[in-house]
Amino acid sequence: MSGPNEDNNTQLSSHIFGDLLDSIIVDVASECHRIAKLGLDRNLEEEEEEMRLSAQARARVADPSNSSETNTKYVVDIFGQTHPSVATEIFECMNCGRSIAAGRFAPHLEKCMGKGRKARLKVTRSSTAAQNRYSRGSPVSTYSPYSNSTSTNRLSNGTPSVAGEEYSNGTYEEPWNKT
Amino acid sequence: MCLRSSSYTSPKPCKHLADYKLRHAFDGYDSLQNCLKTTPIGRTRVDNHNTKIPRCNFCNGYLGRLYICLMCSSISCSTHILLHTQSKSGHDVAIDIERSELYCCLCCDQVYDPDFDKVVVSEQIKGSCPGRSNKRRRLDSGMELDLKKSKRLIAMRDGRAKSCYPLGLRGLNNLGNTCFMNSVLQALLHAPPLRNYFLSDHHNRDECKRRYGEKLCLLCEIGALVSAMFSGDRSPYSPAQFLYSWWQHSSNLASYEEQDAHEFFISVLDGIHEKESKVRNSSKDDGDCQCIAHRAFSGSLRSDVTCTICGFTSTTYDPCVDVSLNLDTVNLSAAEKTGLSTLSGCLNLFTRAERLGSDSKLHCQNCQELRDTSKQLSISRLPLVLCLHIKRFEHSLIQKTSRKIDQYLQFPFALDMTPYLSSSIVRSRFGNRIFAFECENSDSSAEYEIFAVIAHSGMLESGHYVTYLHVNNQWYKCDDAWICEVDEGIVRASQCYMLFYVQKLLYHKANKDLSCNASVESR
Repeated sequence: MSGPNEDNNTQLSSHIFGDLLDSIIVDVASECHRIAKLGLDRNLEEEEEEMRLSAQARARVADPSNSSETNTKYVVDIFGQTHPSVATEIFECMNCGRSIAAGRFAPHLEKCMGKGRKARLKVTRSSTAAQNRYSRGSPVSTYSPYSNSTSTNRLSNGTPSVAGEEYSNGTYEEPWNKT
Repeated sequence: MCLRSSSYTSPKPCKHLADYKLRHAFDGYDSLQNCLKTTPIGRTRVDNHNTKIPRCNFCNGYLGRLYICLMCSSISCSTHILLHTQSKSGHDVAIDIERSELYCCLCCDQVYDPDFDKVVVSEQIKGSCPGRSNKRRRLDSGMELDLKKSKRLIAMRDGRAKSCYPLGLRGLNNLGNTCFMNSVLQALLHAPPLRNYFLSDHHNRDECKRRYGEKLCLLCEIGALVSAMFSGDRSPYSPAQFLYSWWQHSSNLASYEEQDAHEFFISVLDGIHEKESKVRNSSKDDGDCQCIAHRAFSGSLRSDVTCTICGFTSTTYDPCVDVSLNLDTVNLSAAEKTGLSTLSGCLNLFTRAERLGSDSKLHCQNCQELRDTSKQLSISRLPLVLCLHIKRFEHSLIQKTSRKIDQYLQFPFALDMTPYLSSSIVRSRFGNRIFAFECENSDSSAEYEIFAVIAHSGMLESGHYVTYLHVNNQWYKCDDAWICEVDEGIVRASQCYMLFYVQKLLYHKANKDLSCNASVESR
């Protein structure tokens, strides 16, 4: 039904809305006033300077006309030395005694120690306990994003800890990991 | 209760407020104390216990902002408050009814008084029963190590060494996909507390072998590494012995493949701690542990879980050796991701009050029922060395895949952690009142200086780690065997994965002591 009633209602609701909006605006202004007066935002200038320097740096790096230090291959390091892409220093393996080139040491050691995918399933109790202690101690995620697909979640390897269970009281159960 | 204004300034009162205080001290505040009411979300208003709506004495209006006079308790709206002051001399200060803020009618501005805030906070605390207090753990500030001793242990320099470069700069050979290890080692070995500890021979390898006889001691391995790095020999070092020992310690991580630097970092700290607690035969909890790993990196996180109905808060503390942060734009859709991601944004995200969903109601001790709750994290104790880990990965639960987030993250070189401290977070929950909260800990400074950045480039499964080190006012890039000088802009523009900050005071002291101009004392 159209007419003065509807106009009244519209007016009333905009009036109420206006009041609510005003109230919220004053709330925010009051909060900011307090923060400014108490010096809780005193680092604003330093923060802005850091932002400016970062923006400047990114612009310079993105500029193709700059001789980009990151993309060119290394010629010499600061000590005037040059190094091959695969390290060639030779030393003795401390497990089997063979002479190995540094750049191939890790794959050799893996086989030499019998490690690798097969061995990983046989997790010893002591190392599990050690991992658990740290997982429990730190409420932050110990998720590893870079391990290969067969073990995407370190925690799923049979180590039961979800950090936080021990520390919160019985009524709260907190999953600490934020994914 | 004494007031400590360590992280904020108590502004000077205006003339009118000062006059009022002189004449009436706390009379006005005390009489109003009974009328203060706090809602569970932390807002305090003045409630006269009348059933009637408060109205302005002059115009009878009830809309807009209302103020109650401290002298006579009469209520005026913002339009007529000046009239009230003019009509009654001395009635200069009033309180905003909605927000419990002091208002000076003559200055026409919001003013602040610690004594008033104390009254408000007392009422807020009374209303919501704070969580159990925790005995404060003092940070062991005994890091005054004898650096003269450490200089003596640095061997006579190798003739090849370029004497103008700082000691400790040395490349690490990649032993086969071990850049994750090299990058963390570079950062760790240059962390002032760790570097000083090992250079001062606090863990003497001969004594360790003699006493404990074990073959495996990660502390010994790190000590050997530090000696090698600071020996003056600049040819790249192969940390093979270290790799061998580490694989024996963390056998579930022992494999030739790309691994996660952060995971390795945690594993190394764990190895140090394990040896130390075996040695001392103690099972002290992480907060009080005195092993070098904990002394350097251990801090404490506080978690407050608040009932949204009654405001009852339960507080727990957990030790931590680093802080893992989600990127602050991770929840935005692809279209919205044009904003800049910043470290402060991530820290704000980490410490924001988060409403837990209705499907995860928790039992409130006060209400004795399952309630909706809100959780908020904050840092109750800062470590000497702050390691911030940026979680650059996304999982899709549906597709069961993970992918890396390449988004640039802006980070500062000078970091002030004050806004993320428990004292600041708790204070802001109480409306930023000037008040000394129990969790205040002004012993340690909250100002940090960056000294290492671990950057990652490439994909999730196959990428490359490098470390940028800040030594003696110069940035160096440590890319396995290659050490190069870089401009600070390169570091700022890099894709950071782990950031290492050290407390400012410690940083400047450490740099001064180990500057390359120091003469090396012979043994």
